Amino acid sequence: MGTMSHLHTDPPRAWTDEDGPVPPDSWGRDLSPGRALPWGFMLVIVLLVVGRFALAPHLTSAALRTWATIFVAICVQALPFLVFGVALSAAITAFVPASFWTRALPGRPSVAVPVAGMAGAVLPGCECASVPVASGLMARGVTPAAALAFLLASPAINPIVLVATAVAFPGQPLMVAARFGASLTVAVLVGWLWLRFGRSEWLRIPSRPHDGGSKLVAFGEAMRHDLLHAGGFLIVGGLAAATLNVLVPREWLTAVAAIPWLAVLVMALLAVLLSICSEADAFVAASMTAFSPTAKLAFLVVGPMVDLKLIALQAGTFGRAFAVRFVPLTFALAVLVSALCGWLLL
Amino acid sequence: MNRLSQSLVLALLGGAVLRISAFSTTYLNYVKPGFRPFLIGAGAVLLILGATGLVQAWRMKEGQRDGPVHDHRNEDGAGDGSMHVPGAGAGDGAGHAHRQGHGHEHGHGHEHGHGHEGPRVAWLMCLPVFVIFLIAPPALGSFAAARSDDTPRPRSQALSAFTPLTGDGPVDMKIGEFIGRAWDDEKRSLTGRQVRLTGFAVPSRKQGQWYLTRMQLACCAADAFPLKVAVKGVPAPAADTWVEVTGTWIPPKFEKMPNGVVHPELSATGLVKIDAPAEPYED
Repeated sequence: MGTMSHLHTDPPRAWTDEDGPVPPDSWGRDLSPGRALPWGFMLVIVLLVVGRFALAPHLTSAALRTWATIFVAICVQALPFLVFGVALSAAITAFVPASFWTRALPGRPSVAVPVAGMAGAVLPGCECASVPVASGLMARGVTPAAALAFLLASPAINPIVLVATAVAFPGQPLMVAARFGASLTVAVLVGWLWLRFGRSEWLRIPSRPHDGGSKLVAFGEAMRHDLLHAGGFLIVGGLAAATLNVLVPREWLTAVAAIPWLAVLVMALLAVLLSICSEADAFVAASMTAFSPTAKLAFLVVGPMVDLKLIALQAGTFGRAFAVRFVPLTFALAVLVSALCGWLLL
Repeated sequence: MNRLSQSLVLALLGGAVLRISAFSTTYLNYVKPGFRPFLIGAGAVLLILGATGLVQAWRMKEGQRDGPVHDHRNEDGAGDGSMHVPGAGAGDGAGHAHRQGHGHEHGHGHEHGHGHEGPRVAWLMCLPVFVIFLIAPPALGSFAAARSDDTPRPRSQALSAFTPLTGDGPVDMKIGEFIGRAWDDEKRSLTGRQVRLTGFAVPSRKQGQWYLTRMQLACCAADAFPLKVAVKGVPAPAADTWVEVTGTWIPPKFEKMPNGVVHPELSATGLVKIDAPAEPYED
């Protein structure tokens, strides 16, 4: 490293002067993360194919197999909804300019909040995408309260999520209606409360994100990014649901489920912990057969609005002062409204 | 998680989904039959995303490797370096990030410059692939059936929906239909009729009987529930054995339905072992 200053002044000569140890110690370094990876994956694939025949016949414990079936079932059932939802949401992120929103929303903030909430019903936004979209809206001059209403509503009540809910709860159309009603109510209420009591210094409005480059590239990038995020958390949810299903004795679940308020609270907290994407959460909720419909509704309403992944995203985007106020408010309202809706409708 | 591994994870998952949906009927162990086109679509999208990402990453890599090599050849002529320098050039670019030269821009820009770092949680997407290939989860069997005793009543059919059973000889019937006719048919059409039911065996805690069972899906295998008929008169096969049972319904002796879960009973006369059906769940 004694040649450092020399390298700075005369970069091209670096290659000629670096005839140090043979072979240079950077050889191994180059191989390890970059070129070794494909080989590592090839090895994994070979192992998978071999394991299919060598290992699978021996992994026959009934509990393990049941766990695996439930886990794979949740992943496989939710995946198409996830892929489709992410694609649409990425298309909106990439192809609809944010200036469209400023023009489409009414000028009066108190009216703009419910309109923005309703816009969530037509425009799919994956919840990971909804935070950057909302911050983009604010950066382009949309009232923060309206942007927040959109942020809460769009992952919860968009058409793909509603279809997924209908598929997960066949023969129970009221579950879809209750999810729609409760989520929209919470989104609008939070928006109005923020309009009335919120202070601008709590909210750090990010600077306008630069948009450059081709829209198709932006679409591909947004889709890949959301898919990796949402897919990872879907697996977390599937793991937890399958484990609950197989490991936790049924009597415990029925005992918790028998106390209505506790069941609602437990499912709401579970939604926060699991952080499942809204396109996929209905299938996890439906698998919790021990719980009442109201408790499942709480899971479906809380999940898209408050969960660990969203809290992290919101705190990172809008600042911690915002998150410590916004998150508890949303959680409390979501639990209350879904309990009320469940009591009325289900 | 760099771009290459992101793409590989996506491609692996897409491949696994296609493997169970497009190229076999394994998906029937997990979801309903009508879901196949959506699975194939989703698997294809994942595979395409992964494959295009791989091609891009490969090109970047090639560009990154080519850069320093050209550089070297221009500066150094066709000297001794051609053997070891390509490796050294690329490695220096990534390793000594503070260098101002050519290698810096390529090696460093790829890793961090465009914000392509994926979330670490995405690694979990490998897990279903491992489970699909290594455990090869079968359709739910007696373990799941024995766990969930809170069987919801079969979807209510209008009473008139029970058509009279015609013909002679044993009638092939779904277990769900048998249960429906056993409890809800006012004309008691099952009385004295031989029926043939298909399902797998689940041991019972009561002496002298076992359960002929078929799982039904509400949506997917995660919310499956068992349809059970208590079989008497033939010895119980090993748990999870698929069988066809011929027999007649035993009308209940009670007038009013007792509390708790009650399964209709069948007095069996014949039992044939069969292979597990391709569609393991009753629709």
